Amino acid sequence: MIELLAIEWLKIKRYRTFWILIGFFLALLLLWNYEASQGNINIGGGRKNHGMSIVNSDYSFPQAWGSTGYWGSIFIMFISIVVIIITTNEYGYRTNRQNVIDGLNKMKFYHAKVLLVVVLCIASTLCVVLVGGLLGWLHSHSFAGFFSGFRQIAYFFLLALDYLGFALFLALLIRRSGLAIGLFLLYAMFLETILWAIINAHTNKPYGDLLPLQASDSLLPFPYPAMIKMMNVVPPSLSMTTYLMTTCAWCAVYYFAGRALLLRRDW
Amino acid sequence: MASILSIKNISKSYGPIQALKGVSFDVPEGCVFGVLGPNGSGKTTLLGIVLDVLLAKGGTFSWFDGMPHDEARRQIGSLLETPNFYHYLSAYDNLEITAAIRRKGKDDRDRVLKQVGLFERKDSKFQSFSLGMKQRLAIGAALLGGAKVLVLDEPTNGLDPAGIAEIRELIRELHKQGITIIIASHLLDEIEKVCTHVAILKKGDLLLSGPVDEVLVSEDQVEVRAADMAGLQQALQTMKGIKRIKLVDTTLQLACETDVTPVQVNEFCIRKGIVLSHLLLRKKSLESKFMELTN
Repeated sequence: MIELLAIEWLKIKRYRTFWILIGFFLALLLLWNYEASQGNINIGGGRKNHGMSIVNSDYSFPQAWGSTGYWGSIFIMFISIVVIIITTNEYGYRTNRQNVIDGLNKMKFYHAKVLLVVVLCIASTLCVVLVGGLLGWLHSHSFAGFFSGFRQIAYFFLLALDYLGFALFLALLIRRSGLAIGLFLLYAMFLETILWAIINAHTNKPYGDLLPLQASDSLLPFPYPAMIKMMNVVPPSLSMTTYLMTTCAWCAVYYFAGRALLLRRDW
Repeated sequence: MASILSIKNISKSYGPIQALKGVSFDVPEGCVFGVLGPNGSGKTTLLGIVLDVLLAKGGTFSWFDGMPHDEARRQIGSLLETPNFYHYLSAYDNLEITAAIRRKGKDDRDRVLKQVGLFERKDSKFQSFSLGMKQRLAIGAALLGGAKVLVLDEPTNGLDPAGIAEIRELIRELHKQGITIIIASHLLDEIEKVCTHVAILKKGDLLLSGPVDEVLVSEDQVEVRAADMAGLQQALQTMKGIKRIKLVDTTLQLACETDVTPVQVNEFCIRKGIVLSHLLLRKKSLESKFMELTN
């Protein structure tokens, strides 16, 4: 396991694209959440204290975790694209072949990538802890309630695993960088929303929440301010247990589908 | 001699096209083994299968008398089809990855880079290399950690004549050191000059395989002429060891078995009362042999 990760590390440690995209994730997470905590991200804004905020700007603990986690769930796109690029690179450079020729095998190659995905999930979760912790402290100057909402952090880890697992599977399936990134964005940003709307409309229940990426998105819902929650316009949802189990199930599906795909085809 | 690689009845198809049809042969230790065939004859497919990047439809193969494949591949330096490296990394960093996968020390990188003449460019990115340099780096990577066996698929692709000669020298040198080399090529010259054994493939069929001096001398041609060509032809048809007789212009070309010498042909004709006006042993070049076999 350590050997496989060491090999992956050699591949990325001097890969500029990798570090730039990771940097985007961290920078956006920090800047966006900071502005949100300052109440500067508003609808109809443009000047200080102008417009209506539908984003929770209360970053005291434990709200800091849910808010940072929610915005992290959008910026995780960058890390997903990183996963797609480093995986399709192997096909583009035909280094997937060379790695096997030199002594790995298909499954080791696959597990190296799966391990890298897990490490990236841990790293992005740490980013969320860092940013959420920093802003929570800045907002309230106290660490009271630091651990009370900490399960949101575990949710973020699962969400990252769901996104990156999906990205890895798509990259292995399509093998071409541009097409895989295009399809990933198309699905994550539009297609799933369309499917979600269709399913919800036809079943009259929020079953659309069970779709691959939506399942984990539902673990970290939009950080509505308390006032909007009281107005009872927050959409209906299923239980957290359902979302948790569905997310884990999708992760397992990506893993086994990727494995079956690689075992079946030529390299 | 122990066999390094033993291939038994390997077959492979791409859709309706049969790329390999039950190919079997053994590669003895310490030889330079040429896998020969025109483009599309299945050379790369065969090497891809024994290196575990392609799945065979049927048949088996074993390295080093049944060593587990992953372990065996770490002992084998291979270059398959194209030089495959991370474009954004330097030659040095790329070799570090190869060394890590093969579980060899990375200290060997300087040696192999010097051997293939890329030491001065060790910190240049792979994407800045010319085709010839990429090919050299791939050969360097194959040499890393002192491989016992080298598998080289078209190793002189993209090299200039000097580069080709260098690679040939390198192969000879490595052969002297006792390294077994399996080399696939459609360049006959390349094979003829360095190989001790060959296997010839055509459209997925193994036409023949064995030591070069057995496989390729077996069909030497003897050319004869005499005043009475018709009588000569008739007489020679009764001679043992002559497989085919062909009249080309004014000369008879005899395809003979290995043990038939021009002396025997001459003696035979004299006994039949025919005096030859022309007698020539034509060693078949690999090229004409190859054309005959594959056309």
